[in-house]
Amino acid sequence: MFAITTSRPRMIRGRLSDWRLLCVLLPGMLQVGVAWSEPSVPGSDAQVLAELPVGARHQSTPARELTRTRLELALPLAQFYVSRSRATGDLRYLGYAEAMLQPWMRQSSVPPAVLVLDATILQSRHAFDAALGLLDRALQLQPDNAQAWLTRATVLRVLGRYDEAMASCARLALQADASITVLCTQSLRGLTGHLPAAYAALVSMPQQGLAAEARAWRYSELGEMAERQGDDQAAEHWFREGLQLAPEDFYMRAACADLLLRQRRAAETLQLLAGFESMEPMLLRIVVAQQLLGDGRSARDRAMLTAAFDVEQQRGEAVHRREQARFLLDVEQQPEAALAAAQENWRVQREPDDVLILLRTAQAAHRPQAALPALLFMQQARLEDVRLEPYRQELR
Amino acid sequence: MRIAAALALMLLLSPVARAHVASNGFLVVQVHGQQLNGSIELAVRDVELAIGVDANRDGKVTWGELRAGAPRLMQYVAQHLSIGAQGSSCAISFQTLEVNERVDGNYAWLPFTARCPRSVQQLSIRYRLMDDIDPSHRGLLTLTDGATAQTAVLGGNGAPALFRVDAPSRWRAFVEYLQAGIWHIWSGIDHLLFLLSLLLPAVLLRRNGHWEPVPRVRPAFFSILKVVTAFTLAHSITLSLAALDVVRLPSRLTESVIAASIIVAALNNIFPLVTESRARIAFAFGLLHGFGFASVLADMGLPQGARLLSLLAFNLGIETGQLAVVLTVMPIVYALRSGAAYRRAIMPWGSAVIAAVALVWLVQRALFPTG
Repeated sequence: MFAITTSRPRMIRGRLSDWRLLCVLLPGMLQVGVAWSEPSVPGSDAQVLAELPVGARHQSTPARELTRTRLELALPLAQFYVSRSRATGDLRYLGYAEAMLQPWMRQSSVPPAVLVLDATILQSRHAFDAALGLLDRALQLQPDNAQAWLTRATVLRVLGRYDEAMASCARLALQADASITVLCTQSLRGLTGHLPAAYAALVSMPQQGLAAEARAWRYSELGEMAERQGDDQAAEHWFREGLQLAPEDFYMRAACADLLLRQRRAAETLQLLAGFESMEPMLLRIVVAQQLLGDGRSARDRAMLTAAFDVEQQRGEAVHRREQARFLLDVEQQPEAALAAAQENWRVQREPDDVLILLRTAQAAHRPQAALPALLFMQQARLEDVRLEPYRQELR
Repeated sequence: MRIAAALALMLLLSPVARAHVASNGFLVVQVHGQQLNGSIELAVRDVELAIGVDANRDGKVTWGELRAGAPRLMQYVAQHLSIGAQGSSCAISFQTLEVNERVDGNYAWLPFTARCPRSVQQLSIRYRLMDDIDPSHRGLLTLTDGATAQTAVLGGNGAPALFRVDAPSRWRAFVEYLQAGIWHIWSGIDHLLFLLSLLLPAVLLRRNGHWEPVPRVRPAFFSILKVVTAFTLAHSITLSLAALDVVRLPSRLTESVIAASIIVAALNNIFPLVTESRARIAFAFGLLHGFGFASVLADMGLPQGARLLSLLAFNLGIETGQLAVVLTVMPIVYALRSGAAYRRAIMPWGSAVIAAVALVWLVQRALFPTG
């Protein structure tokens, strides 16, 4: 029946009344899932359909050919795309970066720098195991590649494999700047039973000569550590300092938004995230804030998030599974579905926020058993985080 | 459509937020025997990357620029998307480009039809759109075949994806076409109005220039039976001839004449010329309505191996729907027939309204055909 009604909606349009047209089109819209509206012809030639972001212009074939043959062009371009993706949350940039690297990745001996950058892309896509594979390949070719050790430490940390991450930080000490090594190791100590000491070490860390990226990283770690220790005031201070220095660091911005939301400071959250609506993680926090304020605008944003998560699911990707779990829990109030998403997320990554969402959803769904992996993980790693305590108490 | 208008206004008032998602193309394919109907959708931003449509290079793609790039877009899609049935390729022809809004912005929506050399059993789709520009681009496929739908993620490796499309079982084809027939009589309001014009006077008799109610059920029943049988017989003949490709008439002509037939039948109730043998009108015009039914069937196509059965099912569906209407309307008009209101108001004014509606259709269909 559907095939008939949806196959030629336009042909019969002229003969159907509006409501009946809706009946005919609705199944089609539901099928495709994410369409907002029905295709139509814009009213005017001047209507702008898309504003092209930096670096999203058509490249002529000769220009593309150059990047296939000259690594000194391909690599910086790919790096540029990765940094744009980081700054804007725009996943398409990762694809452009991948396209730059693809011809080089197909060669019999891939340059280590290409392997490391491709690993960074995979990491951004939350394909952590594949990223580790490439990093190990790069390190076999070039054991003193500091970037590879650092990226490796980061990936292992996200996976909750703290001992291995620590070993990578140690290798870093031989090549890199001492301050980077301090950040690498202290941030791990902060997750493995030495939180106050690690926090103190980072607070007193000398900042002279520190690169901007390292300074931003320090602020971000300090903010998260303060929050895990229950010092929200200090945490906010570090986050705000850090965001002044690195306004495009959206991990830090999201963390700061979460801090504000936990204190139910919805209006300030909206202020913090204004202009960042295009990033799914930010949009989620905006919707949560709007709900706290009883703001009716959230309906459209909710629909948009649902659609974006659906598409991701259809693609079989898990980039925003943690956000999806939180969306289902806090916005849609579907604890069962939220728990399922949190469990799926747990299979991919194990940051403190991943522990938090698994505990929260397990509690909301009245399935304490489901929280067990996260509770075990906390115990084994000796993870300290005051945000987790109430759930830990209750779920025990 | 008031709701839609209100929504559109809200979008203008609020700054439009865009969610960033990875690059996706949306491919919809519907299988009808040898014929495929479908659409491919690419983000306008991806179209720019693929073929370059921002002619004035101001960093904005307008509808005018996109439209001007339509031929190149069709060429690009044709080069990067191939569809085949059991190993031999299906010829894709594109229709007019439109625009669709999705979560992450506007998309170029390109509908197409494809003709395969034989009825589709195994569909192969090779999706290479954007593959050298954004290797993370994927094609999200919705494939429907009769009542079953399947989805898949395409692209990423250049190998064709294969889908088994079940050769429709005879029973399933029968049910599908039966349903289509019922649906069509329900949605084909023009056929219903024609029938209604013939049925309204069936509970009356014309005597000395006046309408009188029929005294008993029997004559009314037979009068209706004759009209409905004549209509059914006639449209079954032409439906079969057209569906089996024996006779073909341009749809503009048949659609216009169908509208005209309603006007004639309705006016005949107000200014009676033919009062005794309405069955003949029903038969004569029924022939034309059969061509109208056939055009619906042509859109669906008849499945290989079950052509006659499906045709029969479609026809039975039409008769079932028609019978349901007759059984609903007749007791009502029979009950109302004795009142003066029926003869002086319901029948003449009802017929006048029907004639007016049909007149609008006639003008629309004859002068402004939608194709």
